[in-house]
Amino acid sequence: MNRRQFIRDVMLWSAGATLAVPRFTILTDAWAEETPAPPLVAVAKGEDYSSLVTRVLQPFGGMGRFVRPGDRVVVKPNIGWDRNPEQGATTHPQVVQALVRQALAAGAKRVLVFDRTCNESRRCYANSGIERAIAELGDSRAVIEHIDQRKFVPVEIAKGKAITRWEIYKDALDCDCYINVPVAKHHGLCRLTLGLKNSMGVLGGNRGSIHRDLGQSLADLATVIRPKLTLIDATRILLNNGPQGGDLADVRRIDTLVAAINPVAADAYATTLFDLQPADIASTVAAHSMGLGEMALDRIKVTEA
Amino acid sequence: MRRGRLRPAPSSWRALGQTLFLLFFLTLLVKTDYAGSDELNWAVNLLFRIDPFLAAAAMLAAKTVIALMLPALVTLGLTLLFGRFFCGWVCPMGSLIDASRRLVGRPVASPPRPGRRQLKYLLLFFLLTAACFGLPLAGYLDPFSILVRGLTFSLQPGLDHAATTLFTWTYQQAPSWVNAITEPIYSLLRQSVLPFSAKVYGLSLASLFLLLAVLGLSRVEPRFFCRKVCPLGALLALTARFSLLRLRGGSAKCGKCTRCRMVCPMAAIGDSREIAAGECTLCLDCVSHCPRSRIGYGLRRQAAPAPGGNDQGANLSRRAVLTALAAGALAPLALAPRTQVRHNDPLLIRPPGALAEPDFLDYCLRCGECMKICIGNGLHATWLEAGLEGIFTPRLIGRLGYCEYNCTLCGQVCPSGAIRKLTKSEKQTVVIGRAYFDKNRCLPYASATPCIVCEEHCPTPDKAIKFKEVVIDNHQGEQVTIRQPYVVETLCIGCGICEHKCPLAGDAAIRVTSAGESRLGQPALPEGY
Repeated sequence: MNRRQFIRDVMLWSAGATLAVPRFTILTDAWAEETPAPPLVAVAKGEDYSSLVTRVLQPFGGMGRFVRPGDRVVVKPNIGWDRNPEQGATTHPQVVQALVRQALAAGAKRVLVFDRTCNESRRCYANSGIERAIAELGDSRAVIEHIDQRKFVPVEIAKGKAITRWEIYKDALDCDCYINVPVAKHHGLCRLTLGLKNSMGVLGGNRGSIHRDLGQSLADLATVIRPKLTLIDATRILLNNGPQGGDLADVRRIDTLVAAINPVAADAYATTLFDLQPADIASTVAAHSMGLGEMALDRIKVTEA
Repeated sequence: MRRGRLRPAPSSWRALGQTLFLLFFLTLLVKTDYAGSDELNWAVNLLFRIDPFLAAAAMLAAKTVIALMLPALVTLGLTLLFGRFFCGWVCPMGSLIDASRRLVGRPVASPPRPGRRQLKYLLLFFLLTAACFGLPLAGYLDPFSILVRGLTFSLQPGLDHAATTLFTWTYQQAPSWVNAITEPIYSLLRQSVLPFSAKVYGLSLASLFLLLAVLGLSRVEPRFFCRKVCPLGALLALTARFSLLRLRGGSAKCGKCTRCRMVCPMAAIGDSREIAAGECTLCLDCVSHCPRSRIGYGLRRQAAPAPGGNDQGANLSRRAVLTALAAGALAPLALAPRTQVRHNDPLLIRPPGALAEPDFLDYCLRCGECMKICIGNGLHATWLEAGLEGIFTPRLIGRLGYCEYNCTLCGQVCPSGAIRKLTKSEKQTVVIGRAYFDKNRCLPYASATPCIVCEEHCPTPDKAIKFKEVVIDNHQGEQVTIRQPYVVETLCIGCGICEHKCPLAGDAAIRVTSAGESRLGQPALPEGY
């Protein structure tokens, strides 16, 4: 084969390939069948976070309700900051570990854990303790990976009011079960960061510009990023200097987990842990008005698990 | 003495040694990175600490003994024993020059041309004197600095870009059976030679060209840089003149045979086939080529030097040496009237733990290690902002990257202590600069649009960026309540993450300047209070 022949062959063989990036369009299917009225929010308190996860899922029928054998599962904690678990800026590693363990026990084919961090990714993964917590499981089906830029795909947000198109991490969209595990904490702009805000960790692009209309943008995102389960980690809550914290005096330990199928109801209830009302959080209000879920506390069924 | 047919030539042992040392140093370079713990486990900066030229220059400039660089004495001691083996066997730049010889060199061996090799000695004398008198330029010509800067600033990021482009294409376009092959390869590359994330570097092209120039000079004659330019080579050559062991054997008895002269890449062998110990790098090419196996390695003979002196030696004239010394001593005088004596560039933000500016310039080796390891990709090579002698020194450019709050790696990797090694808590209180808002562009001020990304990222536990709630008119004339951020000067440490994360296009609306930095000895306006 000479050079000319080689080039000709390459052209021929690659003729079918185009350079277009695949684009995703998410159809907003109603989750009415999965969301009973009134929506159920389970709350559990206790010091053993591993068994706490089991307890808080019991009212829903356990992990088997969400993960079926052979499922590809994504567990999305908050690993956004280079902080340790005591500082309350990231999801507690034991909570993440227990969730992943239960998903594996429920027969998941693969459980992927990731977050697009704000500080340097390796430092966040290491110092949050979550990387080690996954490694301790010693199960090759449990994978924690750093963001791979190639996996961001442009997504049309058809119902979006503030944002109509964004790059979203592919695994968050095409998995069988997406579990959102935010940590409940203070945030300067939106007052609190809970479930909806945690979805920002699967976004590519310049996320800073979302802050111009943060509440509506987060609600828009909630139309395409659809967790089957939202489990809010309120084992320690950061009351001030969030979302990053750093001062242990700002952290209060309340050993609480909040779980719900409906993300808006989960956020609405978790707001009360900070002595705030659901209406104080712009993203909760915006998502509620878009019909994404209930925020009125008297129309949410809260179960102590 | 005749070699058996299957025994490898002596010079192939040298080639093996070169390969191993080169791989070792490349491994150290790749390991110059965060590895999951706050402390570095490897002496990844070893290369720069065994460099006696940089050690001498830095110590002369700083007028003190830099303990970190004392391992350089080992190199000198070994050279005194074994000769200039370092250049022939150890130096990674020399190995690369040899490796690229076929690529850039002439196919026909050039006849030995000993001329102008005194240039490297004169450069050595000039650079050391200039460093002593206040103009530290040693890092510009040190082979390791040139090499590590070229590899770090340009070649490794280039390799990363090439691999990422290729494997992004296969990932997005190729069928899954192709990806079953390519993805493990990409993953392996990511874990081994590629940087963790895509990085950019200031002066990347200049660093690449400098490295390519050093390699390309071999086109003029073999090992041109080592023969004529390298000041480290010059220092080792001066030491090797007194070495205990050396190559010898050729003499007038060899008759008309000049094989050794023709193959010697250093042109170290004279007309009468005697070998100049200062120039010989013990590459053993002559040993391999000598048809009578006359050349051997052994103790120095006490015999008188060949009549007329060795024509391959340094041939330094007293006048040239004195001129080099005088130039080195006088050149720094030209620096006195520079404006930076009174006013530094306010955008020249030095890494946390950096010594006061004049000391920093004296100690800094321009080796690029801090910029290699900076996990925020915030440290970049300075151009002329710190003066003629400040090129390739590190500065923080907030828009390109930032200083990670809990990270202390640059101080750990600095081979000379130009950046002090700080504990985490020390580092978090060192002020490298302070942020200020450009209220004409900052959204909550300029257009009553909510945005406090800077406040969100501000890493100090008591945030240095706070906000106040104000009621102002927006562009539509409506009254809106908005949170406007401001900087608390006493809390800001200048890490630059606010500038880096500011979501505005172009320049950030919050910028860091060196104002308020906590290192001492900064120039102050003498006419001020």
